This record gives sequence, structure tokens and C-alpha cells, in this order.
Amino acid sequence: MLLRRIYQFLIIYFLGLAILLGVKYALRLSNYVIPDPLLLGLTFQSEALRYFKDVLDTMSIAIIGQVLSICLAVLIGILGRQTTWFGSFVKVAAYNVQAYPIVALAPIIFILLGDGFLSRLLIAAMICYFPLLLSVLGIMAEPIGDIEHFYRITGRMRWQLEVKIRAFENLSKLTTVVAGSATLAMAGTIVAEFIAANAGIGYSIRIALYQSDLGKILIALFLIGISLSVYQGLLEWAGAIIRKTWESR
Amino acid sequence: MLTIFWAAPAADAADPINYRLKWLFNASVVGDLYADVNGHFTEARLAVKVKSGGPERDAIKELELGQAQFGVASADQVIRALDKGAPVVVLAQIFQVNPLQWIYRRTDPPIRQLADLKGRVIGITYGGNDETIMRTLLAQAGLAEPEVTLFNVRYDYTPFYRRQVDIWPVYRNTQGIIIGRKMQAENEPVRFFIPGEFGVRFVANSVVTSRRMLQNEPATVKRFIQALLAGWEAALDPANTVRALDTLQQFDRDTPREQLAEQLDITRSLIKPTTEFKIGTIDTAAWKQTEQIMLTQKQVAKPVQVETVLHPEFVF
Amino acid sequence: MHAHPPMRLACRQATFRYPQTASAVFENLAFDMPGPGFNALFGPSGVGKTSLARLLMGERDGFSGELQMTGIKRVLYTYNTERLPGWAAVGQHLERIIAPRQHEQKDQLVELFDMTPHLGSRFAQLSLGQKNRINLIRYLLQDFEMLVMDESLANVDEPTREKILLGIKARFPDKFFLYISHNVIEVAKFCRHILVMAGKGRTPSAAMVAGQDLTGDQPLERDPLERTMLEIMNAA
Repeated sequence: MLLRRIYQFLIIYFLGLAILLGVKYALRLSNYVIPDPLLLGLTFQSEALRYFKDVLDTMSIAIIGQVLSICLAVLIGILGRQTTWFGSFVKVAAYNVQAYPIVALAPIIFILLGDGFLSRLLIAAMICYFPLLLSVLGIMAEPIGDIEHFYRITGRMRWQLEVKIRAFENLSKLTTVVAGSATLAMAGTIVAEFIAANAGIGYSIRIALYQSDLGKILIALFLIGISLSVYQGLLEWAGAIIRKTWESR
Repeated sequence: MLTIFWAAPAADAADPINYRLKWLFNASVVGDLYADVNGHFTEARLAVKVKSGGPERDAIKELELGQAQFGVASADQVIRALDKGAPVVVLAQIFQVNPLQWIYRRTDPPIRQLADLKGRVIGITYGGNDETIMRTLLAQAGLAEPEVTLFNVRYDYTPFYRRQVDIWPVYRNTQGIIIGRKMQAENEPVRFFIPGEFGVRFVANSVVTSRRMLQNEPATVKRFIQALLAGWEAALDPANTVRALDTLQQFDRDTPREQLAEQLDITRSLIKPTTEFKIGTIDTAAWKQTEQIMLTQKQVAKPVQVETVLHPEFVF
Repeated sequence: MHAHPPMRLACRQATFRYPQTASAVFENLAFDMPGPGFNALFGPSGVGKTSLARLLMGERDGFSGELQMTGIKRVLYTYNTERLPGWAAVGQHLERIIAPRQHEQKDQLVELFDMTPHLGSRFAQLSLGQKNRINLIRYLLQDFEMLVMDESLANVDEPTREKILLGIKARFPDKFFLYISHNVIEVAKFCRHILVMAGKGRTPSAAMVAGQDLTGDQPLERDPLERTMLEIMNAA
């Protein structure tokens, strides 16, 4: 699973790169528009280590943000699963807030929290939180009638049991959602860094953009992609292990 | 993506010409807009489309891709592009004094010499031109951190208003006016720190085209640049102030007219320092200095001999 | 026969339609079914058997008419596609949801239902028939006066089914069972009262047929069984 993710990413990345280089040579574009492999190699040599550290910095924040949003999404998902007034209120609020583009909220966040760790974390969490919440809400609000009937009719149903049943029945869906939200958390952190922060790969990309250096950006994209693939592969692997142990305990 | 393949790389007189600016429509491009709105291009039998720029736009790349025939780029962009083999040439230099300057409070001690920067918190945009300029100034002064504190700047000026940062980079003719007015309203008059006064003449906006365009269509290039510079001369002629402001207001609706007027005045001083000065004159020494600065700061790998792509012959 | 508390399920002018629909699932349904015992609800698909079962559980939406339940306080309803959660073995689930005082009875039922070898399995690993049997066991040991068994022994082979039905009748003589099945022979053979619900547009809409109510200790007579079957078929 992990290896598949990595080589799938490599295929996509190098396919994209090949198209770019194809355009470059077909139109005889200079290295300023699209860098040649040699220049890319040199850029990789000089920047890869620094960028990789930046990616790890970004990813550590993305992961913390993701964990926070998973916790929050599960909490709200559990509260919002009921067909009560509060449940529907939570759902409506979640859907509405999702409509606000984060780039519009980001300046407010930076003014309130500065351009350090907290802002990046909050934006990462916000970007990956809403899709997570919607999935968790969807899963938690959907009764598993064939299993729940017995507990309901015999008066044994408790909210913990209901949550357990629904989570168990949707475990692979939840794993997919969590792994997918890693991408969003990463994207969120990068956007935050791009807009304002002082560190991380998004910040480095912004500087490379200032300098019109596509080579650096391509190296950054490569490192982001490969790190994210590894992380998502690990998440899926962890999900499979959880499922296996839960199913055969 | 596909348009790249079929876009005609060269334009003849009848073809539409795309002119890609460096930044959004504001007072810094008043001459470009004026030439368009007041018929200077039409008179020269040119169908020019003036397009606003932005952070994600790069005129030099568009020249190479055939998406634009002329563009505005700063000297550092030109030098970086040359370093990577881009076939770009310079036709005119719009700003004689770089509008990128630093604002600070009048109540703070004035910066009369570079050594006066010592002990101050200086705003810079990491990766931006202001970083390059400030690092050059600091190197000249023999100052380094922690003798000065560098502060990463973004679009939000709060750290300056709150005095967390002493001197803050601004475009003198646009943001400089707006912030200066705000500070004045709070009874905090301001001054500007101008790098050019300390010998650092980092060239800003210039008009560029591709080498191919210059070779294949020298007549079009000549007509374009003369129409454009005529537009600039007219826009900055005090006799045409009303018309210039009308033009600006068409494109920049967010800035009040009296601020635009002030922006226009300052812009004039940066572009046409004296009444006899020919707008567009290329300051070769400043270009060479800009290249030297970038070499020193390792922003380019090797000398690019920027003077070889300067074409001052169109300005007269 | 023991003296059992009197039980009765009766219904007059019962009409049921799904909310916001014009045509009724059943109309003017009337019957009187004494209990306890192993009774049946028989009829073609769509005739309203499940709707009637829901009614018995207390769902009154879309219902008009009169429903009388005497001596019946708790109604449970079980159906054939129910599942047990997958996170533990079925034996562990039974332990957890059956009161300790009934554990001995549970073991006997498990034995009777031929489920002993499967207690360590996950629900998903069982065959369809095994799933239905394990599901029925957990219901039988809950607190109820009436248990509606909707196709609860589907996919169970016939000898096992017979054994199970006879075992239930012997062990729970004072409960009211309402067995929903499409199997005429089975219903005719084992049930005491059979409420046959007729297809749409037929009058009367339901008829009560007396079944053979077979128990383990008496032989089955062929002719009366065939008569009962014929009666059921005619009424449906």
C-alpha cells in the first residue's frame, strides 16, 4: 500500500515533468520559463536538503492540525448525528462555515494570532476540518438499522454503542477520509505559510515565486508529494491494522 | 496549455499587441493607461491591449511563450531571466528612482547615514527586492544582525503601526502615500528612507520585449515604444493632470482622487525628475550596479552582462 | 394444558396507509387471535404483514382503527436480515446481552439450534441460516410477552427448522409468538392460529385459520394438515 502510493506519485510527477520538458523543447523555451534537467538536478542538489527540512516542518504542523480536526470532527459528528434541533444546528453551521474561503479568513487569523506556529496550525486544521466533519457527520447520522434494531427494541441502545456500531461499520470509509484529509491539512498549512508565515515549505515556495524560479518550485512539489505519499500510505496502513485487530479480537 | 502551441510568436502591425504590466493598475502605470485611453497607440496604428500584472504574472515568461509582445519587468527579473538564457531585451526604463523605499516616523532619529540604521527593527520581505536592497545597504554600512533586527513583512501593516517595526518597506508613490496619510491623521508625521540617496540604485520597472520581436519587427517596436513614452510624457505633464487623474480613476476606483493626485505627483518625481528629462532613459550604470548586487548576493550564478540587452536607442 | 394468563390480540376496522399516500396497505382489517402460543401471520408479499408487526410494536403513524392487546406488555420484533456487530465473536455477544440467570437456558438453546461450534466465529463468517439462528437465540432470551418473528428461520434447512420450532414451543409455552413465513406447510403444521391476510381488493381482508399446532409428542395426521393448507390457500 505504502510502496504503491510512492510509485504512483512518482509516475504522476515524472509524467507531469515530462510534459513540461516536452513543451520546453518543442517551443525551445529558455531555462527561465522551464528549467532543463541539468538545472533541475543542480537545484535539487543545492536546495533539496533545506526544502526537505521545510517540508517536515510543514508536515509536522499539518499532522497536529489534522489530529486536532479529527478530534473536533468526531466530537461534532457525534453531537450532530442526532435528529434533534441541536443536531441540525450543528450540521447547518458546519455546512455554512465551509463556504468561507480560507484566504479571506487568513488575514484575520494572522492579525489575531501573528504569523507563527498557531496561525499555521489553525489554518491547517480549518482546511481539513470541514470535509472531515461532513464525512463524520454523514457516517454518524446514518443508522445501521439491521444492527441497531435489536439494541433499540430491547432498550439497550446508548450513544456510545451507536457511535461504536456506526464507526465500525464505516471503518474503511473513515480511513479513506482521514488519509484524504492529510492532503488537505498539508495544503492548508502550505497556503498559510504562503500567505504569511516565516517558515515551512509554503514560505520557501513564495520566495521561489518572487524569484520566478520554477526549478525550486518543482523540487518543492516533488518533496511535498513524496512526503505526503509516505504519510498517507502510513495512515492507510495504520487503518488496515486497526480494522484487522478490531475485526479479529 | 494548448494555446502555447498555436499562439503566433510575432506580431505585425495589424496584429493585436499584448502589453503585460508588472503590477495591478495604479499610479505606477499611469502612463501606460494614459497611452491606451488617450489614443497614443491608435495614432501609431497599434492595437494594444494593456493587461494588469500581479504576483503570479511574469511578463518575461509571457514574451517567450508568445502570450505578450511587450511587458514591464523590474531589473532583477530581467537579470534572473538572462541568467537562465531567456531572450529578453530592455527598451526603456520607467522609474529613474526605485519607488521601493522605507517609511519611518519623523519622531524617530533621522537616517542621515547608513550607520543610523544600527539598532533599528527593519521590515523586509524575505525573497523580495527590498531584502536584496536592504542587505546591500547593510553590507555597505558593515552592519549585520544582531546590530539590526530584520522583521518579515507581509501585507498587514499592524507591526509598523504598533511600533514593533521601526522602518517599513513601501512603494513610495502608492502605499507610501496611503500610510503616510494615515500616520499624519494620528499626528505621527513620517519620512522616507531612500536607498538611492546612499548609492544603491536598484533599477525598477522597465519596458521589455523579446529579442525575436526586436529583430523581426523593429518598426513595430519603435512605434510601440514611442507611442508608449509619448503617453507617459503626456500623463506626467502637469498641464494634463486632470485628464491623467480621470484615466487613473477609471482603473483604480478604490483610491480617492486627492490621494491619486498626490500619488501622481510623487510618481512624476520618480519617473521624470526634471522637466527636461526624457522619460524612459536607460541608466546603464544603475543596471550594471543592479547586476553586481545580485551577483554579490548569489542571486545569479554568473555575470550576464546586462548592458548588452539594453536598447537606449528608442528613447529620444 | 397449563393455566396460562389470558392473552389476546384483537383488531377492528384497522386501516393502514403510508403517510402521504392514498391507497391503503390494508383496510378494515378485523381479527381476534387468542394467545399464548405459536401463531402465524400469513399472506402474499405487500399485504401488510410487516406494517401490522410495526403496529404491534407501537408505531401508530398511518394507522386508524382499534387494536387490542390483552396480557401483552412487551412486543419484540425480529427479522431475517438483522446483523450482530462485527467487533466480537457471536458467543461473546450472547454473553453480553443475555442476563446471567438465563445463561444456562442460552446454552441449551445454542445446543438445540446447532450453534455450539460457531460461538467463536464473527457474525460475518456465518452462513445465512446460522446468522438467523444466532439472531433468534438472542431475542428468545429477552424480556417479552409477544415476539414477532419475521422470516426468522429463512435459509435454515428443514429438519433443523422443525427441531427449532418444536423446541421453542416446548420451552416458551406462555409466550405469544407471531410467526411470519411464506412456507404454507410449516405454518399449517406448527402454528395454532393463522391469520391469513388476503391480497388487495379481496373480502374479507383477513381470515383466521386453525393450524395443526404440532408439538413434539404427537404424530402428524396427513388429512387435517392438507385441509388446513387448503383453507390457508383459499383465504390468501
